[in-house]
Amino acid sequence: MLSLETFELTKAFGGNLVLDKTTVSFQHGKVNALIGPNGSGKTTFFNCVTGLIRPDSGRISYAGADITRRSPHAIARAGLGRTFQLCRVFPRMTALDNVLAATRPRGANLLRGARGRAEIDRARGWLTKLGIEHLMQTEARNLSWGQQKLLELAGVLMSEPETVLLDEPAGGVNPALLDRIGGLVRDLNAEGRTFVIVEHNMDLVMSISDHIVVFDRGRPIAEGPPSLIRTDERVLGAYLGA
Amino acid sequence: MPSGALLFQSVILGLLLGGLYALLAAGLTLYFGIMRVVMIAHSAFLILAAYLAWWSHTELGIDPLLSMLVTVPLFFGCGVLLQRLLLARLRPVTLTMMSVLLTFAIAVVIEGLLGYVFSGTQRRIQLGYGSASLELFGARIAVVKLIAFGLAGVALAALYLVMKKTTFGWALRATIQHRDAAKLVGIDTDRVAGFGFGLGLATAAIGGTALSLDTTIYPSLHWHWIGPLMAIIVVGGLGSVPGAAAAAMVLGLAQSLLQIELGTTWAQTVFYLALFLTLAVRPQGFFGGRLAQRF
Amino acid sequence: MPSVSERSTKIAATVALTAFAAVALAFPELAPNPYILSVGIVVLNYAVLSTSWNFVGGFTGYISLGHGALAGLGAYGTGLLITKGGLPSFVALGVGAVLVAVVAIPIGYAALRVRGASFVIVSIALVLVTLLVFQSWASFTGGSRGLNVPRPFPGMLRPEHHRVFFYLFLALLALAALVWWLIDRSRFGLGLKAIREDEDKAETLGTPTFAYKLVVFVVSAFFTGLAGGLYALWFGDLDPIFQFSILTGSYMVLMALLGGVRNLFGPLVGALIVGSALEYFKVEFGNTPLHLVATGVLLALVVLFMPDGVLPALGALLRRLSPTTDTSIREVTAAELAATGGDRQHAESRNL
Repeated sequence: MLSLETFELTKAFGGNLVLDKTTVSFQHGKVNALIGPNGSGKTTFFNCVTGLIRPDSGRISYAGADITRRSPHAIARAGLGRTFQLCRVFPRMTALDNVLAATRPRGANLLRGARGRAEIDRARGWLTKLGIEHLMQTEARNLSWGQQKLLELAGVLMSEPETVLLDEPAGGVNPALLDRIGGLVRDLNAEGRTFVIVEHNMDLVMSISDHIVVFDRGRPIAEGPPSLIRTDERVLGAYLGA
Repeated sequence: MPSGALLFQSVILGLLLGGLYALLAAGLTLYFGIMRVVMIAHSAFLILAAYLAWWSHTELGIDPLLSMLVTVPLFFGCGVLLQRLLLARLRPVTLTMMSVLLTFAIAVVIEGLLGYVFSGTQRRIQLGYGSASLELFGARIAVVKLIAFGLAGVALAALYLVMKKTTFGWALRATIQHRDAAKLVGIDTDRVAGFGFGLGLATAAIGGTALSLDTTIYPSLHWHWIGPLMAIIVVGGLGSVPGAAAAAMVLGLAQSLLQIELGTTWAQTVFYLALFLTLAVRPQGFFGGRLAQRF
Repeated sequence: MPSVSERSTKIAATVALTAFAAVALAFPELAPNPYILSVGIVVLNYAVLSTSWNFVGGFTGYISLGHGALAGLGAYGTGLLITKGGLPSFVALGVGAVLVAVVAIPIGYAALRVRGASFVIVSIALVLVTLLVFQSWASFTGGSRGLNVPRPFPGMLRPEHHRVFFYLFLALLALAALVWWLIDRSRFGLGLKAIREDEDKAETLGTPTFAYKLVVFVVSAFFTGLAGGLYALWFGDLDPIFQFSILTGSYMVLMALLGGVRNLFGPLVGALIVGSALEYFKVEFGNTPLHLVATGVLLALVVLFMPDGVLPALGALLRRLSPTTDTSIREVTAAELAATGGDRQHAESRNL
């Protein structure tokens, strides 16, 4: 079963073609990885998929629905959550409020108190799962880099996405934290969440992914399970610079 | 239906006015490109330059055009200081909003000081060649308007050459397009940004002198300029100089033509109408992409 | 669990609020003459205006310099509904404010669709264009000759009139503050604050940022319109030059910023300081261009050196005076930062 698919997705900045008729699909319920050398269009791909950047042409569909022209919040509500490469939290809000801000109230619920018992319990649950519950009342800007990355992930998970896009979860974090994030992804995947992960750390990619897509200059050049990608010559060529 | 000659005259006057708008909008675009700053005080400096031209004419008896020898370098210096000492201090996160407030504050201070020093009285330069005019196919065009347009045209051309042909222009364009990359290739982007602001403010000095030739000036006049100028840069597509120039010409022309039927005040509303419509329908502007192509 | 410092801040706030309420309620009795009472009304009007402004400025971080025009529209709307529409005064006030809110929808639509600079540009343009229209459309608005708004209580003597309006403005201030407080603690408010912090991020978490911004802008316009309309009923004489002045909007910004935009009572504190200073200046120096200079300089100083306002600064002072345990968290953070600092270099600038 396919969850996230793009068809001939194209995006250029100025004269620079970043995504070049990219047609790719990711597998539902699996941990997918998206790898490729710097500048191969991975982050732009994420930005297009989550609606932050309008593609020049092409289509994006998720769970069978066309989401190409939808606004970012509608895409998020369709079940796609994401983190950012340079992780983004709300700097002058407490860790707890950062997570609470990910709830999606509607209608009359909007005017109810933001700190309801049920919400706080759920938020505390995610913060505990990520091991930063003790920092609940600390403003996000006073957290360390690693703690901010965990907080960002907690916020995304609070919004209950079916599919989580992670942009370089291992970037700038220490090895102990890296293991924790890897384990977490596997746990959450076991509970049924789909992942698409952009990552440069090959150890992490090879150890947690079921399916890998390799980008080079804005288009997929190879895909398959880790064992296959490891030995693919095109992938090697792309990384070494042909 | 207005006569052909009146229509023709309005077209000419509209284009001449458009030239001045284009020069001033280029300055605003430059600031926006460098720092994403909407420089509200631009037109206050414009009026300041006009006052200085008027003052040097009435008090010192020299031709207002000569005042540029002082005002252009002076304003260049002010621009550099403004960027380096004030705007660069603001937190990057809130820069867009806070810089508007800061430049707004500067505009208000300039307006207040002008009112204090020169009083709120309306001022006008009486020039020997002030009433001279040319006849062209039945249209009467004042010579001073031609001089003003000439000044704006020369200044715009000079700005273009500086941007395209000099090393500084190259560094400035690089800074505008990708600040981090510019830093990597060894450009002192802070310095360049300061000089860019100086360049922008220098255009206000030239524009103000041109304005003083045939306009009655008073301290709060700058509000009548900043509104149209903001409309022009939005309609042109924020950050695009050719876009701003095209929008300046079109809107200047529209204003001049509407004046025939509606009078001067109602004709001014065309700018605000264009501003609202652009943002509602096509926020990236009608001429050139938003921030896509600068210079 | 609130810390010691938080509790002491809360106590200080409660004491200050009680004191303000007591003084405000007794003010009409304490005021030595009707002039002082009218100054009180002007300051209260400023407080309502800057609190209304703070619905947009405080929650979303979008700075409007054009709220003066919304107040002017409320004033003229109320005045015209009475004189041309024949509505009773207070019905006109309500209808006028609703009309301002309705007008704010297309304005907000144009101003808020794009991020950042466009909003300020539109807000300034709004003042300029309304001034132009209300001055030029003399047959309808009275133009520069002004518009006379009939008093709502014709038989009432001046001091009594002031007294009644003082309490009306006080009630409006309480209402605006109450709504602000309700939003502040609500989920809607949390979403708005997320927009202030990082709009893209809020979007990707599923917050419909445009709708949120538009709604709060319209709420803000409604209260601003009410304040403008009530002013029209009190003052009774409207002139476009003063109603659609760019200065009114900048006073609101200055007051809110000076007091502190993240704080419910920030705009009130700012209005008390700036409003009293403005009236004092008027008495001492008359209407000179120097009050423009003073306003500009003060605004620049606040923007450069105190963008969070005086209330947070006072709060920080209070915290420093009372011993706390807050610091320990920060030390841990610093140590951890140092530990991961080297790795952080890897997170190069966002690639395209």
